[in-house]
Amino acid sequence: MTSEIIWIQLFNGITLGVIYALMGMGLTLIWSIADLPDFSQGGIYIISAYSAYFAIILLNFSYFFAIPVAIITGMAISVTFERLLYTRLRASPNAALLCAIALFFLLENIAVYLWTPKAKIMPSPTKDMILYFAGIPVSFQRILIIIVGVVLFIVINVFVKKTKIGKAIMATAQDREAAALMGINLEKVYITTWALGGALTAIAAALISPLYAVYPGMGTLPLLKGLVVVILGGMGSFIGALVAGLILGLIETFGSVYISVAYQHGFAFIILLLTLVIRPQGLFGRR
Amino acid sequence: MRPRRQKIIKLRRKAETKMTAIILVVIVVVAIAAAVYYLQFARKPVKTIKIGYVAPFTGPAAEFGTNGWRGISIALEEINEEGINIGGATYKIEIIRYDDRCEPSEAAAAARRLILEDKVVALLGSHCSSCCMAVAPLCDEYKVPGITIECAADAVTSPGHEYYFRMRPSMGLMAPLITPVIVEKLNPSTVAFIAVDDDYGRSFVESFKTELSKSNVETVYEAYFERGTTDYYPYLTSIKSANPDICFYVGTTPEGALILSQARELDMIPGIKFIGSEEMGEYELVKLAGNETVEDTYAISLWAPNPKIEELAAKVKEKFNAPMHYAIVFGYDALYVLVEAIKKAQSLDPVAIKNALDTIEYDGLEGHIKFEDFEVDGVQYLNQGRWVPYLIVWHNGDKELVG
Amino acid sequence: MKTIEDRIKTVPPTKLIPLIIFAILMIIVPVFASGYILFVAVLALLYASLAASYDLLFGYTGQLSFCHGAFYGIGAYTAAILTVRFGFTFWEALIPTCLLVGVLATIIGYPALRLRGAYFAVTTFFLAHFIYLILLNEVELTGGPLGFRGINPPEPIGFISFDSLSTYYYLVVVFFIIVVLFLYTLVNSNLGLILISIREDEVLAESMGINTAVYKLLAFVIGAVIAGLAGAFFAHFFRLLHPTTFSWLLSEMVVIITLVGGAGTLIGPIFGAGIVTFLLEFLRFAPELRYVGWAAALIVILIFEPKGLIGLLERVRAQIKKKG
Repeated sequence: MTSEIIWIQLFNGITLGVIYALMGMGLTLIWSIADLPDFSQGGIYIISAYSAYFAIILLNFSYFFAIPVAIITGMAISVTFERLLYTRLRASPNAALLCAIALFFLLENIAVYLWTPKAKIMPSPTKDMILYFAGIPVSFQRILIIIVGVVLFIVINVFVKKTKIGKAIMATAQDREAAALMGINLEKVYITTWALGGALTAIAAALISPLYAVYPGMGTLPLLKGLVVVILGGMGSFIGALVAGLILGLIETFGSVYISVAYQHGFAFIILLLTLVIRPQGLFGRR
Repeated sequence: MRPRRQKIIKLRRKAETKMTAIILVVIVVVAIAAAVYYLQFARKPVKTIKIGYVAPFTGPAAEFGTNGWRGISIALEEINEEGINIGGATYKIEIIRYDDRCEPSEAAAAARRLILEDKVVALLGSHCSSCCMAVAPLCDEYKVPGITIECAADAVTSPGHEYYFRMRPSMGLMAPLITPVIVEKLNPSTVAFIAVDDDYGRSFVESFKTELSKSNVETVYEAYFERGTTDYYPYLTSIKSANPDICFYVGTTPEGALILSQARELDMIPGIKFIGSEEMGEYELVKLAGNETVEDTYAISLWAPNPKIEELAAKVKEKFNAPMHYAIVFGYDALYVLVEAIKKAQSLDPVAIKNALDTIEYDGLEGHIKFEDFEVDGVQYLNQGRWVPYLIVWHNGDKELVG
Repeated sequence: MKTIEDRIKTVPPTKLIPLIIFAILMIIVPVFASGYILFVAVLALLYASLAASYDLLFGYTGQLSFCHGAFYGIGAYTAAILTVRFGFTFWEALIPTCLLVGVLATIIGYPALRLRGAYFAVTTFFLAHFIYLILLNEVELTGGPLGFRGINPPEPIGFISFDSLSTYYYLVVVFFIIVVLFLYTLVNSNLGLILISIREDEVLAESMGINTAVYKLLAFVIGAVIAGLAGAFFAHFFRLLHPTTFSWLLSEMVVIITLVGGAGTLIGPIFGAGIVTFLLEFLRFAPELRYVGWAAALIVILIFEPKGLIGLLERVRAQIKKKG
């Protein structure tokens, strides 16, 4: 019995870890470009999930077509915030951070107002498909998450290393002034970064929602875990985000079963503290 | 005039107009705000009786306030059709409601506003036990009676307050009544608990743990989750290892739906018999989780299907397009009980109404309602109703009574 | 560019008049106001103390922290546990509460403040939630979600008893005035100058020989202790403690209040607290829209008037001066 539990927890941990990693990748991109922990991604997480939910329920989309709906929503909101608000606040990082938090607050409460705090269950064909690996039940949704996570990780790495705009983004992350001097169109970099961030957040939301639920408060914890992943993994590092996400996911899952389930969200905090004290630049951080 | 001077005059005028514009805008905004405020509290020409309702309309417990309000508003419509006759004059009821977000300081502020500013003759609410405990002393202090729609923690009426009443049986009263049924029908030797971490969840587990241990049922796992949790896998995997005969799950329907579907994913049903708290005896659970997920799971239900409740359910469906929920039944009954008390007292004096409530007996949809003072196992209860809840099992999306 | 000295000028006489009127109003409120208004007023004063003490850390020292509400909670529960479980009187309990909150703030603040802006903010965000988890889960200590009940009002001093709402209101007024005077003296002293220099340019301050770590910690701890004291007053006023009151929403509200009022002015956050508390009460009949409107207003302020209401007031006054 116990080994079965360990395998189940392993799958759970990896699944969560991938989701955290996706959030982390989006956040680390934005944070390294704009020096801003973008709390509004938490709000975008919520709204993208709802958009997928309504696409399924109201427009009769299949789950797989609802995911692009979420992605588009996430990107649209993200870029809008950037163009309308963050652009004006570039001079003051404190104001930008507060604005991001206010936006998160705003989106969460709009969700409460429009759709009530009651959780909604998102149907998905993959959720109910349960596969058995050596007698251990695993929902196909989890396999989907892991596959998508790995694929996206590869895609993003290719994107920043091979495409022109990707390289421009990486250059800006390293040194903004130098990048501008080299003739890189900073505005384009900003827009693309935020679009990517929004897309990653939305994908994470759409993937995990069928296993959990869609409700207005769903954004806070993924956002905070995402921030921890950024710090643990190292600013601006995708491999860092992936590794950190998996570490966090596994520690949380096993910790909640074997140590304390009441403080399961406290593990992230402890990891955060340890990172900042022992190795502030994170596992793969540069600066 | 020289062109430069003209320019200065123009600029001054511009600044003045800008200033004037700002002042005008401010005046308009203030006027609108005042108008809205007074419209809300304007004296109505018809004779009205003001009753307050404090409940969570936003926040994690929002469905209770919303559903309670649905029940109350249907009752309100029915009552106001004829009005209430007191001393020859006809009165209509007006309900003033405030949100407490399931937070005690909010509930206290709302209650004070209702009593001191809005001058209600009685109030209904709240739903969360912590809020009820904040409101009850205020009822005593200002001598305005209050009926709680559904707080579950024993502490609300034990030792209790003179001016605060509760219709539904508290946790401490419910557990001894339903546990024998569970023991007899399901014959468990071990039990696990997974409950929402609030006063309701904790008092639920406390009461049932004690009652079950009297029948030699051992508790093998007990854990609490934060309201609104969606990830139950850590809890469920531990429960799976502990392998109890029965498992109580306590929370709201979305939480219950998730617990059940995640438990099914882990192959725990029907090996372990899941018994849900009162919420899980509602059709909302089936709607959220689907027939297959809830099949063969049990729940405690606060009402058994009967024609009068079906009637109310139809009205709720028609008016709000929402499923039936026990908070609706309680809200409906609560307003009727209060109105009966007012009629009996033939007075709008809160103290007289409270005296009427002390002795009133009313056949509500939930059962026979009577507020009693009594003692159970050395524990004093004041102004508490008591009737027996039911154990149900879900089959094909329908609930069936078990004993 | 104003010099630091320019920003700290002594309060001109014209500013004193509204202050005196305000003080008089505060004193006569219990005479004509109902219990409801008094209740809200006490809460407003407590929030104002929270906001003013937070302003020391955020407005004057420039450190964005999200755990101020947590210290309020720790103070509340500490004082309550001391008076209910250990038989302290309210007055006796105040000193250990200060000490405990102070020590905790030092332990937390010392490593945390070494972090740069955003990292510090995120850490305090987590901290607030972690403390909430402790308050929620350590049921033997705090009563958890069942609530901590049975707290008595403060013991009488001489013939003044604090059972009634009006006397308690006056007690809180006195506390509030002491806090404001204390903070005011602090920010107008050399210490205040140092804190502001840290806010303006920490690197420069360091190079001038200022031990920024010590001063940031000082601001953090002083702010925390005042918050803790306010919490103790809250506990003996409301007489029922519940973890949900001290969730991170409270810390967020403190930040919002300070910002909306006008960070770095002390007066601003106090006004902000009054306005927010009363506005939220006023809007009690529109529960669903309260927070949406709130968040929208905050964003508008951040974009158009980051100096908050005080900044707005100054702009209007400058306009009037231009006219005249």
